[in-house]
Amino acid sequence: MHSADNSQIKDIPSVISNALRKFVKANGSVVIFLILWIVASVFVRNFFSIENMLLIIKQAAIPTIACLGITVVLMTGGIDLSLGYTLGLCSISVGLFVKSFGLPIWLSIVLTLLIGIAVGLFNGVLVQYVRVPAFITTLGSGFIIFGLAQIISSGSDINRLPPAFRAIGITEFGGLNTTVVIAIVTCLVMYYVLHRSTFGRALAAFGFNNRTARMSGIKTERINVMAYVICSFLVAIAAILLTIRVNCAQPTMGGGVYTFEVITGAIIGGASLFGGVGTVIGSVFGILIVKIIENCINLLNVSYYTYQAFQGIVILLAIIFENVKNRKL
Amino acid sequence: MKKTILEMREITKYIFDAFGHALRGSTVRILDSVDFDVKEAEVHVLIGENGAGKSTLMKILGGIIPPDGGTMKLDGKEISFSGPRESLHHGIGFIHQELNLCLNLDVAQNIFLGREIGKKLFIDKKNMYARSSEMLAKLGFDIDPHTLVRDLSTAQQQIIEIVKVLSYDCRIIIMDEPTASLTSTEIEKLFEIIKELQKKGISIIYISHRFEELKEIGDRITVLRDGKYIGTVPIEEFDYDQIINMMVGRKLGAMYQCHHVPTTEKVLEVKNLKIASHTKPIDLYVNKGEVVGLSGLVGSGRTELAKSIFGSRTYFGGTIRYDGQVIKKVHPSQLIAKGLVYLSEDRKLEGLVLEMPIAHNITLASLPRLFPKTNIHRGKERTVALKGVRDLNIISNSLDQLCNTLSGGNQQKVVLAKWLLTEPKVLILDEPTRGIDVNAKSEIYRIIDRLASEGVGILMISSELPEIIGMSDRVYVMRNGTISAELTEKEDFDQEKILSYTLG
Repeated sequence: MHSADNSQIKDIPSVISNALRKFVKANGSVVIFLILWIVASVFVRNFFSIENMLLIIKQAAIPTIACLGITVVLMTGGIDLSLGYTLGLCSISVGLFVKSFGLPIWLSIVLTLLIGIAVGLFNGVLVQYVRVPAFITTLGSGFIIFGLAQIISSGSDINRLPPAFRAIGITEFGGLNTTVVIAIVTCLVMYYVLHRSTFGRALAAFGFNNRTARMSGIKTERINVMAYVICSFLVAIAAILLTIRVNCAQPTMGGGVYTFEVITGAIIGGASLFGGVGTVIGSVFGILIVKIIENCINLLNVSYYTYQAFQGIVILLAIIFENVKNRKL
Repeated sequence: MKKTILEMREITKYIFDAFGHALRGSTVRILDSVDFDVKEAEVHVLIGENGAGKSTLMKILGGIIPPDGGTMKLDGKEISFSGPRESLHHGIGFIHQELNLCLNLDVAQNIFLGREIGKKLFIDKKNMYARSSEMLAKLGFDIDPHTLVRDLSTAQQQIIEIVKVLSYDCRIIIMDEPTASLTSTEIEKLFEIIKELQKKGISIIYISHRFEELKEIGDRITVLRDGKYIGTVPIEEFDYDQIINMMVGRKLGAMYQCHHVPTTEKVLEVKNLKIASHTKPIDLYVNKGEVVGLSGLVGSGRTELAKSIFGSRTYFGGTIRYDGQVIKKVHPSQLIAKGLVYLSEDRKLEGLVLEMPIAHNITLASLPRLFPKTNIHRGKERTVALKGVRDLNIISNSLDQLCNTLSGGNQQKVVLAKWLLTEPKVLILDEPTRGIDVNAKSEIYRIIDRLASEGVGILMISSELPEIIGMSDRVYVMRNGTISAELTEKEDFDQEKILSYTLG
């Protein structure tokens, strides 16, 4: 009965502070982004310009696609450490298909996306049915994928890709390019999948409490495998776009550093390593935060190694912030 | 006259969370001014139905949770514990029903866990193993202290627990259903040890459901019921009927109102189902519009039976017929779609997604039916959720309130709302009123009666006899993994009778 009483005693300031609290709690990364943006605009020379804004958006587009993938996996309570290596495998694959084998562009892309799906199935089935923790499974599969990419490429890159293929990602208009458009479309689709569909609801329920989910008739096995498939599928898209951007298909593209960057984005965006929590808006702003920091480090002429250390600090701060927020608010 | 060494007076405990802290604003008392004492070198038996408060009282004595009121005196001196270690250092040892040993360590390592003998960095292994075998030998056991605990039988593991407790020079040992997993020869051995300990002046608090045992080793019997102290009887005055009366003797109030009329049309039928390879087969059926009670102790196989029917557990042969069809190896989702649902006894682990809002929890099991095109329509979701909240009188701030901030009774109503939304034809309820207050209880009884009137077949598993008697049209009693009795006539529903089938 006490809960009913509480609801009636509400004064206006507490309503506003409650609303603010709710917003910060749900969109912590948006708040961090705004603070960071203002601080950078004031203190970092050349940061505040339209060109620089557009540059950050362009740089964020591809990692955002991969980050939405890892967000789905994180929501199950799992993790995909093979992400960066899958990126390399898909990159070299699309290069081989489109240049070395001379396949039509559409077929090359479809085959590359299928490779992504296959990798996801492999990871998902291992995690779900062999019941090895995702951390170990994907660490192992990551090395297999990395080795595979090296073997099929014989260790060499494929340069100068066909211009018609490159046009998919680099056609410019209004300061932005098609890669950004694809990223935005991906965001919209994933927003529907995660926040408006029964799949997204079941995914969250599974991530929070898989026993309740199963007992409530959710096909948890399917959801768990699907999460890895979606992740690797999105990584394959990211791989194609990144290959176009650098005009070079490389088996070593991505790697552990890329995995780390993408997971950092998702975590800053509020995704929980324990499952259940993850949002499209959070992950988008998470990646934007990572890219703003990278951008500032560049503008300030600091070494890349400092950037990596800084990234580590940011991920720790994000986790601490998450904890404090959950306790205090 | 033996000396009284431990006195617990007016111990009170409100319903608490996983950390032993009282739930905010809760007035449900698990223990209500309970008195308990222990004399030197006696075996004091503590009995009561499930949920009577035995375990809670012992957890307080063992320092696992603090009391909310009352005093404890040891040798006339008032004591209070900040944790189990402190209780142990006062000479009170607790042997839990589930043994707390490290399976991957050996016997000696377990006995000296956390207080290894040695100087500074190095463990004096020789000394530790020698002392372990000495202690084991003293009790008349020949167990090599180098054996891994994993390789010991349950009885031997229990002995290690006893040795461990004794090595702290305990004067009072609490044993929570120690014979639950032992064979009859192992039980005899345990009783010998208990008598041996008694001779050394050590007192035992013994929790058990088995009456034969009590007569054999007990000195006094204390009965708890609904968190209240009912009385203490010396073993010489043991009278079966009187003890049962003390355990259950409460009046059935107007809580149970049955208006539904059962049909004779079978909707769920279980034949020759074995829940484990060694148990006897089970036959059971539920008619449309009928409330069937399934009584029995925790661990008698009730939940296993329910989960076997619901497709979330493998069973050992037998057929389950639902709505005329044989169901076999199915995923819960198929059964839910057909209208057979199971409300788990553990609402936090298997009933709710605590971190999700009320609305999402209510629609969780009906997603495919409500939104066949996978597109969640927010307006529709809120309308059906609101209907559930109103129908079941769930007290909350809004549909967006997270379930972990609700009281137990309201949480249970959310789970019930979730299942009612699936429009079930058969509802299996596993302890539907556990840990909720009286008001919520009577509301849940009303809902059960209403559903039965609408033709839903209900199988209600419960440890509370008044609930079984008050609500059921027919009662099954389970013991040792099978059905030990079926009571079809309302006149036969009698606490003493059901309890006698339960205990055997």
